[in-house]
Amino acid sequence: MGRGTLAKLEAIRRGELSAVENVQRALEQIKKLDKKIKAFIELNPNALAEAEAIDRKLKRGKRGGKLAGLTVGVKSNINVKGLRTTCASRTLENYVSTYDAEVIQRVHAAGGIVLGINNMDEFACGSSGETSAFGATDNPAAPGYIPGGSSSGGAAAIAAEFCDLCLGTDTGGSIRNPASHCGVVGIRPTQGLVPAHGLIELAVSFDQIGPLAPDVHGAALMLQTIAGRNPNECTTLDLSSVDYSDELDAGIKGMRIGTSPKFNELTDSTVMKAIDGAVEKLHDLGAEVVEVELPHLEKGLSAYYVIMSAEFFSATRKFDGRKYGRRIEEVCGDEVLRRIKCGEYISRKEQRGKYYQRALQVRTLLRREFKKALERVDVIVGPTVPKLPHKLGTELSPADMHAYDYLTAPISLAGTCAGVIKAGEADGIPVGLQVQGKALGEGTVLRVMRALEVAK
Amino acid sequence: MAEREKEIERGAEEIIKSFVEAAKELPKLKETYYSQESYNVVRPDGEPSREEERTEFRKRFISVMPGVDEQGNLRVEVAKWAEER
Repeated sequence: MGRGTLAKLEAIRRGELSAVENVQRALEQIKKLDKKIKAFIELNPNALAEAEAIDRKLKRGKRGGKLAGLTVGVKSNINVKGLRTTCASRTLENYVSTYDAEVIQRVHAAGGIVLGINNMDEFACGSSGETSAFGATDNPAAPGYIPGGSSSGGAAAIAAEFCDLCLGTDTGGSIRNPASHCGVVGIRPTQGLVPAHGLIELAVSFDQIGPLAPDVHGAALMLQTIAGRNPNECTTLDLSSVDYSDELDAGIKGMRIGTSPKFNELTDSTVMKAIDGAVEKLHDLGAEVVEVELPHLEKGLSAYYVIMSAEFFSATRKFDGRKYGRRIEEVCGDEVLRRIKCGEYISRKEQRGKYYQRALQVRTLLRREFKKALERVDVIVGPTVPKLPHKLGTELSPADMHAYDYLTAPISLAGTCAGVIKAGEADGIPVGLQVQGKALGEGTVLRVMRALEVAK
Repeated sequence: MAEREKEIERGAEEIIKSFVEAAKELPKLKETYYSQESYNVVRPDGEPSREEERTEFRKRFISVMPGVDEQGNLRVEVAKWAEER
């Protein structure tokens, strides 16, 4: 552990480090530290056997694949055959997945080894990592503080060096928020770039599977592995594959980078200080920094909650305790129940088009504003989360908890992509810079993040 | 209804009210249901899965069912509202 993703891949390819050794080291680290951190819910009993198979393949001189020998943690709402996919909920606590999600099939085909299932906020309903039925996850980068959510276990697993890469999901910020709090790299891909088959949905029109990684190359590698059209899925984009490796180290000289005064209005000054420092660095690296208008940015959050709750309510109707699991309302936590109730209310009263339909109009507004702003610049940079994470166990009102998503939900409404990389620290806690890109602008987003990573 | 559920319901209604308030002055535009404008609704032709794959899947599926009868069929609980009738 500790070396960059590409260096480790190369070491495995050359035989300096075997896949088995890589898995063993990861398991030792987890055994030593995960009782406290709670990044994993379950470990894959076949991980070592899978690693042996990779080693045999490499020894025979065969190509091992893009991720050959790397260990991968998978969020508990993505199906991995034979492992429990519980969404960190009592509703599905005994549900052993019967098939592999499309992204898992691609990870396997690329030689990645699923190490285990990561903890998360229950049904991805949360921004703190505290709502899991299997216990709250600690933040390895700031012990005693929340790691963020809902992909809490994945971000914590990367920060604690438990595994090489993780798969998380992002609906309103669930990859970006924990990446920021834990000081790791995370990407929310453009809507439809990564197949969602096998993902237990929170809100079908927002959900995106994406990578969490210790570095930009790792995130790019995982994204390249999982992205691309799935012919059996009606909402994946018509792209056979993506490749970012050529442009990652191209630098950002002459690039136009946007910032918005709105970020300052909505964000704590301690967080903004770290963000301003990173923006200055990007300027020093040769980018032109310009101001862009996002006039209704702050309206995005409540519209997001209305759409998400309505879709979540619909998605949870199958958890009625008949075919599998238990009836969701009987065993779920408060935040899950709140979103179900919210969605139920909207669905009941929707005949006048007052809520869901109106929220979809706000989505159009935000999409247009981001499109207009991104016509003037290559990316927009700003804070990921408007405040520093709270201490584990602190009681927050629902509104205060939802406020963590203020700056990430708008991109989810816009349907474009965004990445997060550590900008600096505030009071010893990591602060992530959110790099927001155009639809299918992941290459540019990664390039900006890589430039900042190298400059550190 | 339990006190917890009532309180949660109140919280849910607050969320909706805050949206109505936030959206009051915003223009009425065409709704965006999904980010993509075109959908792939045609699946490719493929070979049907093999008998042993289907058998294996059935076994896995049955293993996660809450109840199975002697013939291997899904046994479901009678809904509470039906019991009360």
